[in-house]
Amino acid sequence: MENISTEILRYYDHFVVPFTVGVIVLFTVVIYKYVRWFVKLPRTDKSLVWHGLFTRSTFDACVEVVSESLLHRKIFRVNPILGYMHMSLAFGWFLLIAVGWLEASMQLSGIVPLHAHVFYKFFAEPGANHGVSGEILTNVMDLLLLFVLSGVALAWFKRMRSRAMGMKRATKHTTGDRIALFALWFIFPARLLAESASSGLKGIDSFLTGNIGHWMVSTFGVQNIELFSSVMWWAYSILLAVFFVSMPFSRYMHIFTEIPLIFLRKYRLRSTEKQKSYDHFQVQACSRCGICIDPCQLQADAGIMNVQSVYFLRDRRYHKLTGAVAENCFMCGRCEAKCPVGIELNTLRLNSRAKLFDLPAEGRYSFVKGTDTSSGSGKVGFFAGCMTLLNPKTLRSMEAIFDAAGEEVWWADRNGGVCCGRPLKLAGEIGAAAKMMEYNKSLFEKHGITTLVTSCPICLRVFREEYNLQGIEVIHHTQYIQRLIAQGRLSVEYSGEVFTYHDPCELGRGSGIYDEPRAVITSIGKLSEVSQSRENAFCCGSGLANITISDKGQNKISAALAEKFAETGAKTIVTACPLCKKAIARNTSLKVADISEIVAGRLTVTTNSHLAKSRIEESPLLHVMQ
Amino acid sequence: MTKKVIIIGGGPAGMQTAASLLEMGIKPTIIEKSDRIGGKLNDWHKLFPSFTPAHEVLESLKQKMKEARVITGTTVEQINNEGVSLNDGSIMEADAVVVASGFNLFRAELKEELGYTIYDNVYTTVDIERMLNEGEVAMKDGRTPQRIAFLHCVGSRDEKVNQRHCSKVCCVTGVKQAMELKGMFPQAEVYNFYMDIRMFGPGYEEMYRRAQEEFNIHFVRGRISEASETIDRRVQIKAEDTLIGRPLKMTVDMLILIVGMTPGESNREFSKTNGIELQPSGFVAPADNFTRNTCSNAKNIFYAGTVTAPKNIGESINEGAVAAQQVAKYLKGL
Repeated sequence: MENISTEILRYYDHFVVPFTVGVIVLFTVVIYKYVRWFVKLPRTDKSLVWHGLFTRSTFDACVEVVSESLLHRKIFRVNPILGYMHMSLAFGWFLLIAVGWLEASMQLSGIVPLHAHVFYKFFAEPGANHGVSGEILTNVMDLLLLFVLSGVALAWFKRMRSRAMGMKRATKHTTGDRIALFALWFIFPARLLAESASSGLKGIDSFLTGNIGHWMVSTFGVQNIELFSSVMWWAYSILLAVFFVSMPFSRYMHIFTEIPLIFLRKYRLRSTEKQKSYDHFQVQACSRCGICIDPCQLQADAGIMNVQSVYFLRDRRYHKLTGAVAENCFMCGRCEAKCPVGIELNTLRLNSRAKLFDLPAEGRYSFVKGTDTSSGSGKVGFFAGCMTLLNPKTLRSMEAIFDAAGEEVWWADRNGGVCCGRPLKLAGEIGAAAKMMEYNKSLFEKHGITTLVTSCPICLRVFREEYNLQGIEVIHHTQYIQRLIAQGRLSVEYSGEVFTYHDPCELGRGSGIYDEPRAVITSIGKLSEVSQSRENAFCCGSGLANITISDKGQNKISAALAEKFAETGAKTIVTACPLCKKAIARNTSLKVADISEIVAGRLTVTTNSHLAKSRIEESPLLHVMQ
Repeated sequence: MTKKVIIIGGGPAGMQTAASLLEMGIKPTIIEKSDRIGGKLNDWHKLFPSFTPAHEVLESLKQKMKEARVITGTTVEQINNEGVSLNDGSIMEADAVVVASGFNLFRAELKEELGYTIYDNVYTTVDIERMLNEGEVAMKDGRTPQRIAFLHCVGSRDEKVNQRHCSKVCCVTGVKQAMELKGMFPQAEVYNFYMDIRMFGPGYEEMYRRAQEEFNIHFVRGRISEASETIDRRVQIKAEDTLIGRPLKMTVDMLILIVGMTPGESNREFSKTNGIELQPSGFVAPADNFTRNTCSNAKNIFYAGTVTAPKNIGESINEGAVAAQQVAKYLKGL
């Protein structure tokens, strides 16, 4: 007994107490959180984990942990300087711990407690690290420290001038974050000074701490440096403790949480429209890096702050989420595409809304049951959606196209129909949305169609992702038209006119449809792309998902967008979403057209029969709907 | 030395400005972008509330300002300290400029759901004035309309098309045309779909009463949300009667969109000049709304008519007279 306690006390000084307490608090809290979240996972999620555990997914997850949590490859791709900063801090610190462990194990004898590895230079014997391996290790440790310090220097610089780092706006942090950040800024400078002082006093040679230490001792004298050394080791230990204790309660929780998140994601766990325990892993894996702020047009064009994903996740994590923040977002997905952690930002926002706003749908919308206002018959169905019905030019153009291609069409909702359900869903009313979806699904099945074409990307997404339509292929009208042209069923005249194209969020980022509309446009004329397109395309500012923004805010966004389109030199802005069309049209003097309009206007073989078809049966006089 | 005054726009406001300046011995120059003076007054048939023929008012204005110099077919692109720059690249010097460039009509095509330019029998109030002037109002295929619907506030008080303001004169225009068409087609049913009826001028409210009591025109409170075309090319409208709280569908022979006023297309360019500011609506802001309605914040630039806000013809003419007086006062001080 006595021997063991002397062994332990051999590497003990009072200053190690704060560090030890910090480590214990950190791991207790982190492990408690993870165990609790895991236990609360729904059974289906747990079974996904058990089934994935001994598969390739685990290996893939390990690879991703190294490339993302340590090397931060994705941030590198977004911004190399930020990537270097994160890599030097994460990977550098990791190596400092790992190599430091090795160094202490080799140089110290007997039982070496944890803190003796961390504070190795304090406990090292005078004149330690002799010999080739010792010298190499101490110089490697210096190099690593320098690597981390370069990251810290960048972090300081970033706080002072975020623009210099390629970020127009940096995150506004909470008090806990600030305390942790403050500690993080000074941990490594304190370590540098403490190690240098000890190296100088003990005559340990190395290029950084050794040389600084020798200079310190020769300049200020042994006694002063002894006092300084003990102050700096205390400071180092206290800073570590402050950082460790604040870590699980601040944004720095992401350092650890990203790891289980990567594994769970590889096991195919996903967030859903109803909140569940997996969401915790996503929410707390947010590092609040703020990369999501710059792509947000609410911030850039409408001056709306505090609603971006970083703030949404922060508020949600600390249970301070308000409806106003959850609602003020177009869910355009520009931030999600840039998130280096790959958090499902739109789904999380959606299930927050569902939690806040989903009302019991019992008794609501019961009037839709049994109604059927569809017309025509054919294997191909066309669903216009509420917004296309407000764009009759699109409807007419589609009629002309179907007619020219000789397609028999079943018109689901030309005489008025039931909403696809997605607008309600985006507002969080998933119960009410389910009623609409149920109605439309049985309508489609009843009429025996095999292809469902829609001119609305909003409808397209919900049909594809949530209707589970067996035996019915759901395609967007851009895809349908492109197929007709490719199959030679539709011939269009090439005019050489210059068009520009707006990628609707729900069609592009939402459904991955970028090439078909471009193929259609280039078969008619030239395409002049706007400054940011495809995955980086702008939102039109009228997305259905934002139910809070004022009309003024919407206009600021679409006016900014219209200016960018004007720069392309095109005379016509082509889009493929009825909502985008209206949003852009009201803020530009250029012509704005749905893709079907430019096609219908250039059909080489046209018949006039569509003109009669496009008209509807007359309703009885002053018919008042019940 | 004679002082030079340029009036931008030869509509009622610009013409009256010229007339009043001539009375005070100042000979101004009107720059008009179209090929004739008179502005939109040329296109109107009869004026509310008295049903005075538009050409009578136009003739009287023309008589009063015939001594003025008029340059037509020329557009003012910019206003600067020395004068104005024209679309031919030349600069015309002036000691004072009166901006009477008026308004633009709302493009009803922007409300695509109402089918203007898509369906055969959807018209605007401007089309109706033209048809009245031509002497024949009929459906596209020449048939006589049996049921006519007017829709108020197309391009007014409508955020969806960036038109928050009230265009003021359309309510009474809609009532006037409803009465005229009912007079032409006594057998026809005429409906006016409105959200508010704002009868601000003298005699307007009385007209509104007459329309209901003597002409049996139906007023339905509710806007038309969308229109479709029937097989026989009539127009089926969807609306809500908000007084009985029911949605309704109705098929009409003619749907007439009562279009509002949008800010003049040159306002934005003019506002680059020091002293010319725009209101959020896009109309030019007068120095104040009480005593300096026709003044800008630049001492030598003045306003008259609908460049600052929707106004009726009488109000525009009054402003022309006031602007002329302000100009004369300013020139005297030079």
